[in-house]
Amino acid sequence: MLGLPPGFAIDAAAVERAFHERSRTDHPDRFASAPASERAAAAQKFAVIRDAYQTLRLPARRAEYLLAREGVVIGEHERLDLAFLDEVLELREELAGALAAGDHAKVATLEAAMKRRHEGLVAQLAPAFDAIARGGDEAIAARATAKRALVELRYVQRYLEECDRADA
Amino acid sequence: MLLQISEPGESTIKEACRKRVAGIDLGTTNSLVATVVDGTPQVIGGDGGPLVPSVVRYGADGVLAVGRAAADGAAAAPRDTIYSVKRLIGRAMADVASTRAMLPYDLVDDGRQVVVAVANRTRTVSPIEVSAEILKELARRAAPALGGGVEGVVITVPAYFDDAQRQATRDAGRLAGLEVLRLLAEPTAAALAYGLDRGSRGTYAVYDLGGGTFDISILKLVDGVFEVRSTGGDSALGGDDLDRGLVELVLGDVLGALSSHERDGVLRAALTSARAAKEALTDATSTELVIELPTGTLRRTLTRAELAAVAKPLLERTGKACRRAIKDAELTPAELDGVILVGGSTRSPVVRDYVRALFDREPLCDLDPDQVVALGAAVQAEVLSGGDQEVVLLDVVPLSLGIETMGGVVEKLIVRNTTIPCGANQTFTTYADNQTGFDIHVLQGERETVDACRSLARFTLRGIPPMIAGLARVTITFVIDADGILRVTAKEETSGLEAAIDVVPSYGLTDEEVERMLLESFDHAEDDLRRRNLQIERVEAERILAATRGAFASGDPLLEDDVRAAGEAAMAVLAAAATGEDYHAIRDAITALDLATKPFAQARMNRAVAAAMHGRRLDAVEHEIDASIHTHAQAHASAATVPS
Repeated sequence: MLGLPPGFAIDAAAVERAFHERSRTDHPDRFASAPASERAAAAQKFAVIRDAYQTLRLPARRAEYLLAREGVVIGEHERLDLAFLDEVLELREELAGALAAGDHAKVATLEAAMKRRHEGLVAQLAPAFDAIARGGDEAIAARATAKRALVELRYVQRYLEECDRADA
Repeated sequence: MLLQISEPGESTIKEACRKRVAGIDLGTTNSLVATVVDGTPQVIGGDGGPLVPSVVRYGADGVLAVGRAAADGAAAAPRDTIYSVKRLIGRAMADVASTRAMLPYDLVDDGRQVVVAVANRTRTVSPIEVSAEILKELARRAAPALGGGVEGVVITVPAYFDDAQRQATRDAGRLAGLEVLRLLAEPTAAALAYGLDRGSRGTYAVYDLGGGTFDISILKLVDGVFEVRSTGGDSALGGDDLDRGLVELVLGDVLGALSSHERDGVLRAALTSARAAKEALTDATSTELVIELPTGTLRRTLTRAELAAVAKPLLERTGKACRRAIKDAELTPAELDGVILVGGSTRSPVVRDYVRALFDREPLCDLDPDQVVALGAAVQAEVLSGGDQEVVLLDVVPLSLGIETMGGVVEKLIVRNTTIPCGANQTFTTYADNQTGFDIHVLQGERETVDACRSLARFTLRGIPPMIAGLARVTITFVIDADGILRVTAKEETSGLEAAIDVVPSYGLTDEEVERMLLESFDHAEDDLRRRNLQIERVEAERILAATRGAFASGDPLLEDDVRAAGEAAMAVLAAAATGEDYHAIRDAITALDLATKPFAQARMNRAVAAAMHGRRLDAVEHEIDASIHTHAQAHASAATVPS
């Protein structure tokens, strides 16, 4: 939609530039004095452009989209590594305690640690997609790796949202 | 695309059909109107300057006063003089509990929204009606500058206004007999005025502290595109709170000792004196505060340090919102290219010192902070009426929107800071066997539980065919328009039965109510309304006829003969209707023409999309569109349901 080559490794500035470019020409406001049917068509088209931008902008969403194109869909109830689940549960309890106590320093420490984990998981995605692109047996393992990283990322993201609540 | 065809003489057609438009900053304390003259936005002056106090007095004698006339002599009729109505618009009684104690007029809960008892308590008016009076006054002011009555307006709202507050503001515009082209976020409007003025690029924070609202927005400006990255704020925090803080500091116990009748008059006068003292402290480091009490005159020296102490907790609340907005924009303060000050309250050195320290840089304030919002609104009005300004605003929804699911949990469909207009849908299923109804509760806010969010609307989807639990598929669709206003529909899919329901707003007005109120108000007789509608439809008809004629004359091969014939017949009908007096007939003829030319418009749109794809096949694009829609609609959850 934004006229960029597909792939996980993308140039964030180019994505933004392309989005701004398309907004300039295709934003519904450019059609404010057009007949109703054209206004509706323009609004619909812009929605697709905006979705494309938001999908590309965030690494996790971009990766989910690319995996879905590979036929790998992440559902609501994915099975997880038990050790990971235990760890997340423990960290969540710790966070809930810190939030309840209004301990901002503690929340900030937990948040920083989780952000590092977030970055670590995102860092796994690029090589995984490289491997998928190369194909072969390696690609099968890489799909599994990417999927696991993305499932874990969902938990990590929810945790970070929880941290956000501290200063809400 | 029909409208983008450039035809010889098109600009003159455009010029002839151009609406008379203006931008309105409907403020808590003051309002003002601006318009674009020869490409430059200008505020419209009047007696006592461009600022119109946002004050309306409903006298016991039936006399209505608006603006300066209402503000003067307010102390004589404190209960009939409505100040700061923006704090009440789109609010329920529970929302305004903290404000209420400091308002000298009487609030009444009408079960849906807060209303104000006026005219010696003989009647009540809603905040929407009060705001409409202010808007009418501004429209009256603008008329001479525009060379005729105002046809369309852009009204600014705090970025942090929720759906109910926006709906109510839009209703106020309709009630004032104005076509509301757009509700525009105040910081975005300010950025627009600044950006055009300086030709800026970069990332800016707009710190907007008005009379009663605080907004922070982070925007990225690139070559005419103004993209809001994040926004935050507090729709009940502003300079008024400083006035109240000062009154509490100075009078404190004195107020409690007065009878309730004495108290209202004293409070009104004290707030006015406090505001004057606060403004004096902009240039002076100390001033004298004078308040008339029943027991005599109170005189007291007030220092800037005292003002700073009163302001501190309020400013810290703004600081918190700023840090969050910067975080939401995935930035650090150092990455900002500048901080823009907006709103009368940012004149105060106390506020400026705080902002300077918070962002660690000198804030920008070269445009008048009282006027910059109205100037930006005028520019956007010009854009939306087809003017020459090459500007696109990408605004966001300030608060997440969702629906209630099992156990009082809110499932978010649209998260805050999503670019508008936007939409999202999610599929839910029934909870009990043979359930034929489905309750939908729409909420706005960031918290996970229903009671911590703001309830916007409830409705029930009925007529689901009986089937076992979990089989029905109810798709709920949220669409947020460019005004930031939400429309929700629900549809049961599996049975093939398609029932869709629009939300009835919990706040604001239904179309019928607006029409009725318009009819009832004394300066809008039925005939006026008819004439207004007729005028609006005629302008619309002219515009569409001109656009269609131009497109048909272009010799486009996509125009099929039968479409051309149907289009020309529909144009003839519309041209005839436009000379008549029946606005319904014109509206119907516009719809018919729209329908007749739809295949052509669609074909041109497809071609434009294809061209944009750089020669890629259209079905590939559609496939991509499908994929992106599917990835967003995969989640399933069980919703709160009504077995029946």
